[in-house]
Amino acid sequence: MTTAPDAAPKPRQNRFYFRIESLVVLVVLCIVMTLLSPFFLSTSNILNILLATATIGVLAIGATYVIASAGLDLSLGSVLGLSAVFGAFLVDRLGLPWPFGIVGALFAGFAAGYVNGQLITRLRIPAFIVTLGMLGIARGLALVISSGQAIYGLPSELVYLGQGRPFGIPMPVIIFFLVAVVTHYILAHTKYGKHTLVIGDNEQAARATGIQVERHRRSLYAFSGLMAGIAGLIFMTRVNAGDPTAGLNYELTAITAAIIGGTNLFGGRGSIFGTMIGALIMGVLQNGLNLMAVQSYYQQMAIGAVLIFAVWLDQFNRKVATR
Amino acid sequence: MRNKLLMAVAAGLVASASTAAMAQDQIYGVLMKTLSNPFWGAMEEGVRDGAATIGVEYYLQAVESDQAAEPQLNVCNTMLERDPAVMITAAINSTILLPCLSRATEMGIPVVDLDGNLDHEIAEEAGVDIAFTIGSDNVAAGAQGAEYVVTVLGQDATGPVLVIEGLAGNITGQRRAQGFADRLAELAPGLEIVASLPGDWDRGRAANITNDILTRNPDLVAIFAANDGMALGAVEAAYAAGVGDDIVIVGVDGNSDAVESIQEGRLNASVAQLPYLVGAQAVEFASAVLAGEETPEFIQVPTLVLTQEILEEGSEPMLQYVR
Repeated sequence: MTTAPDAAPKPRQNRFYFRIESLVVLVVLCIVMTLLSPFFLSTSNILNILLATATIGVLAIGATYVIASAGLDLSLGSVLGLSAVFGAFLVDRLGLPWPFGIVGALFAGFAAGYVNGQLITRLRIPAFIVTLGMLGIARGLALVISSGQAIYGLPSELVYLGQGRPFGIPMPVIIFFLVAVVTHYILAHTKYGKHTLVIGDNEQAARATGIQVERHRRSLYAFSGLMAGIAGLIFMTRVNAGDPTAGLNYELTAITAAIIGGTNLFGGRGSIFGTMIGALIMGVLQNGLNLMAVQSYYQQMAIGAVLIFAVWLDQFNRKVATR
Repeated sequence: MRNKLLMAVAAGLVASASTAAMAQDQIYGVLMKTLSNPFWGAMEEGVRDGAATIGVEYYLQAVESDQAAEPQLNVCNTMLERDPAVMITAAINSTILLPCLSRATEMGIPVVDLDGNLDHEIAEEAGVDIAFTIGSDNVAAGAQGAEYVVTVLGQDATGPVLVIEGLAGNITGQRRAQGFADRLAELAPGLEIVASLPGDWDRGRAANITNDILTRNPDLVAIFAANDGMALGAVEAAYAAGVGDDIVIVGVDGNSDAVESIQEGRLNASVAQLPYLVGAQAVEFASAVLAGEETPEFIQVPTLVLTQEILEEGSEPMLQYVR
């Protein structure tokens, strides 16, 4: 957006972008936490951080794709809750076999995202409005399906997805890692990813080069919904319940992770690797402050400050670079 | 090079961690919902004084709101890293902490259910060994609320009654509302509960519910809210509608805001839960468990109906525990 002089899209330069400062912040944060708390640097605690970051991390991947295309998805947290409830509903209330728990959660997420995409591109309602509407609809639907109560008790196969530890690594961390690798590859190395960034950088130019912008956008919202579905699946299996309040306000945390990781709020720039760093910065900060028994109010302040600091660092450096 | 450095840091930490663990052998882990509510604040005071009395250290954590379920699970996992002697937990809902608490059980850490948020059967199924549950009997608290309403209005009273429940799906709120409804039907069948709605522990929401029901039933005679915050919201809405003096409004908790409102003659009564006493006794009983003594599975801390009269007289011995 700020690189107005060379308006022609430069995807090649943008594609691999992540904010090196974010990585520095993460490393410094880890060192500080290690010095401040003797409990921080242990394998089990690091797995803890990754486990705590898994849900938000997957959600942030959806947020990154949409934001990088100059869109916005505010319904992520609610769709997460809907997915968790729907999956649990199918296996627990309807008594379907356990794979339906997975299919149901992913389907519910995908469907909500699909509806978002249709409304945004076909009816031309702003993404902010549509996804804000979906935030309410999905949450309400989750409460309706579950009658407002957590649907507790899933088949052990499903619980394994959330609580199993093959090779000592929690399953949600493995799922998180796989999803991150695949989605990073797609965004950084495929035509689909390139188009996403080009649309975000300059929609007119994207159209001029023959990209089917509307169709692409539709698929992005469906993709984002699918990510919320995966996050919902992780949440559901981790706590062994379809909790209709799951993921309350998570959309903002996910967007924060994406922005700290270097995604441009106005589109055209973003990488999953960067977003993962952003999510980990928040995870490490929270974990370290918890270990030191710092009150949660200060944690919220700290995360807010890191967000502003990370974006400021970026602006500052770019100003220096253009001088 | 980098690996070596990491290993050196790690080795140093392992050494410092083990000495720290020895020094903090008797540290109690206390996990609450949130401290942004006087109820939990009073319980924290009780924990502090109880710990001081028996001379143990504790490590207290809470999350930003009493709806932040997954964050609470993450905090719980983090707390286990410090290997506490006992985990005293007030779970946000009956299922969210189970994965963490089952790990605590595996680690041989006794689990104390603070304020009765866990379901013993479900917990046992999930592999959680609850040492004891301490708290007030929420069904009895609701029943006491009904008894108070009937003392004021009389057994032959008739008219519509509103019940404002807690967060949909929260077991504490459900028990209070249920206790109230059952006893009211028993004592004064002429009083009819025309609506029983979840106020989500939210003052503003309770005010809105009160407004809405007053539109439908302007002759409302009594309101029972499952906590004081919501009762105070109902009080404000009733006075704003000009019917504050005509409705008997009862809350539960006995928190400082409620006491003030009762003294001013606005809120009629609050069934005080004495959270201070709950916190203090939780620590004392936990130390008994650690010393290998037998404790009952359920420890009931009595409740006290606070009214303007009782507060003014000031002779009730339990009043010293009202904060």
